[in-house]
Amino acid sequence: MTMNSFEQQLQAKINELPDTVNPEKDLWRGIDRGIAAEEIASLDGANKEPTKLHWVAMAASVVLVSVLWVFVPSVLEPQSGKLEGYALVESLSKQQSEQLSGLLASYESSEPVTENWEQQLAELEDAAQAIKLVLKEDPSNPALLQMLQQVYNQQIALIEQVHAPKWQQI
Amino acid sequence: METSQQRVINANEVFSKAREDALISSAIQGDKAAYRALYDAHIGRVYALCLRLAGDRGLAEDATQEVFIQLWSKLKNYKGQSQFSTWLHSVTANVTISYIRKQRGWFQRMMNIETSSAMNAEAEAPTSDVDLESLVLRLPERARMVFVLHAIEGYRHEEVAEMLDMAVGSSKAQFHRAKQLLKTWMGYDDE
Repeated sequence: MTMNSFEQQLQAKINELPDTVNPEKDLWRGIDRGIAAEEIASLDGANKEPTKLHWVAMAASVVLVSVLWVFVPSVLEPQSGKLEGYALVESLSKQQSEQLSGLLASYESSEPVTENWEQQLAELEDAAQAIKLVLKEDPSNPALLQMLQQVYNQQIALIEQVHAPKWQQI
Repeated sequence: METSQQRVINANEVFSKAREDALISSAIQGDKAAYRALYDAHIGRVYALCLRLAGDRGLAEDATQEVFIQLWSKLKNYKGQSQFSTWLHSVTANVTISYIRKQRGWFQRMMNIETSSAMNAEAEAPTSDVDLESLVLRLPERARMVFVLHAIEGYRHEEVAEMLDMAVGSSKAQFHRAKQLLKTWMGYDDE
């Protein structure tokens, strides 16, 4: 068989593919519920002071940046004193935990746009725990600390996105 | 000269377009029944694209729902500059790609690991009975997405690269990879 016959057969098979495929179950009910949740969330947001959530999120971000500004350089330069080793990791985790609690409390009355966001959050927490496990052996590893920081940032972004996604503002 | 059959076809097209425009206008005004009618008219095409991009029925169903949930608020952005089905197709591709990315595990995203049964697939003898649909679903994720968008949906590599946030060269490489896998699975010797 030549490449040409393969190309020809492939193109013929592509042309034969159906334009439509129907799902095996009715998806409309979930869509209807999702749209209703969206509308409630947008009405809820419109009834509140417009900048309240943004101020909380901004304040939380400022706290995180401040913490990282203070602690991360001390890991990169271990002689500089302050928190060192795994104590720094634990401090970062504590700060993150407090920040997440604050964020979740601020979004308590908002309807999340996806149902599995808590699962995603737990997945990120698993990732953070895995990194912390390795950091126990090598607590001053800047690459691992950066990874941990990235995971923590993703947790915050996830919570913000599912409660006030950008596409809602389109 | 236009035959009577052609006139009937044209009239049907005009009627369908007018009906669709009316449904879109009503849905934008908040008419859920009109939106349901649009859903019924387009679910087959939307799900087909979601399924081919996602490679998994469960994920495709979730992505399809996400498309129609987002479409409800995006519908007002449709200005009639192209056919509605074309515009919806583009929205579907972008929302689905974004949705699939969000659903992937953190480690998979960070480490760029792809899950696929591709490596375990066995070659078959060349035959006209090939089920391309099934083979496409077996392709590794990035190769599948590129193949679906470029070979099936007709997007240029430049467009595919932008949609998938990759280099044009990577899009071409993934397309080549997809074709090589399909070639093997379809029972053609590697020449």
